[in-house]
Amino acid sequence: MKDNDFSNSRREFLKRTGFVSAALLSVSALSTFIPSQKGSLGGLMGALGPGEAQAAPAGIKEKLESTFGGRKVEMSHVVMKTPIIAENGAVVPINISSDLPMEPGNYVKKIYIFVDNNLDPFIASMDLTPANGKAALSLRIKMRKTSRVRTILEDSNGKLYGSTKTVKVTIGGCGG
Amino acid sequence: MPHGIGRIKIRLPRTIHKGQVIDVKTLIIHPMETGFRKDKATKRKVPAFYIDEVSVYYGGTLISRAKWTMAVSTNPFMSFYVKADKEAPLKIVWKDIKGGVYEKTVQVKPQ
Repeated sequence: MKDNDFSNSRREFLKRTGFVSAALLSVSALSTFIPSQKGSLGGLMGALGPGEAQAAPAGIKEKLESTFGGRKVEMSHVVMKTPIIAENGAVVPINISSDLPMEPGNYVKKIYIFVDNNLDPFIASMDLTPANGKAALSLRIKMRKTSRVRTILEDSNGKLYGSTKTVKVTIGGCGG
Repeated sequence: MPHGIGRIKIRLPRTIHKGQVIDVKTLIIHPMETGFRKDKATKRKVPAFYIDEVSVYYGGTLISRAKWTMAVSTNPFMSFYVKADKEAPLKIVWKDIKGGVYEKTVQVKPQ
């Protein structure tokens, strides 16, 4: 009975993962009705999304500038799934996946997650290698209030790919 | 300190074929305190206490490393992919800002 350790927690685990997949399913069902933001947009303002350059808070602009310099972000090859409305800002599931290759010499080396309206817009990053086989990441994050969520992928040649989504938060998740 | 801190669950697919890109699901029990939250009883701020680094080793080689901030949720769940091209241990190590190190190893057995 090697699973003994798990047997008690299996239910709990399924409950948790079930919640996420249910959330993701509802998002993917809805996403067919939302125009996708594909196509290339020049410069860092591209990373900020169409029409968002003025509205974006200063913190995120500085963060993107200091992390990526002036490099262009191509808004393609990345799919980010988030809830459209997060009832609880303390637990917002984010699912990132990409069809970019993961071969030696040409792979995604880093995935970044940013939230515009958090006190520190940088949430998390993950270094990857070809041994991962696929550029993807799921994580649950905290959001202070309704905000744009961005993910940026950096490949081994220094090219950047990104995707953004707006998540509405009804209860903030940073305590206080 | 909350009970059960550092308890870890790692879930791999039940059957793995050689060379398959597998989904690795991980969960660790950790409060992930931001440092902003106030304790309602004492009216004092709860000091920051969160995991800031996660490392993934496959067959002894570091294949992935995540940097986290306080904005990752309590009891962090993370899933990612690994190419199961060999039978080897998969070790995941979480480190928090107070020096806590939590790790768990599972065996990847491609058929």
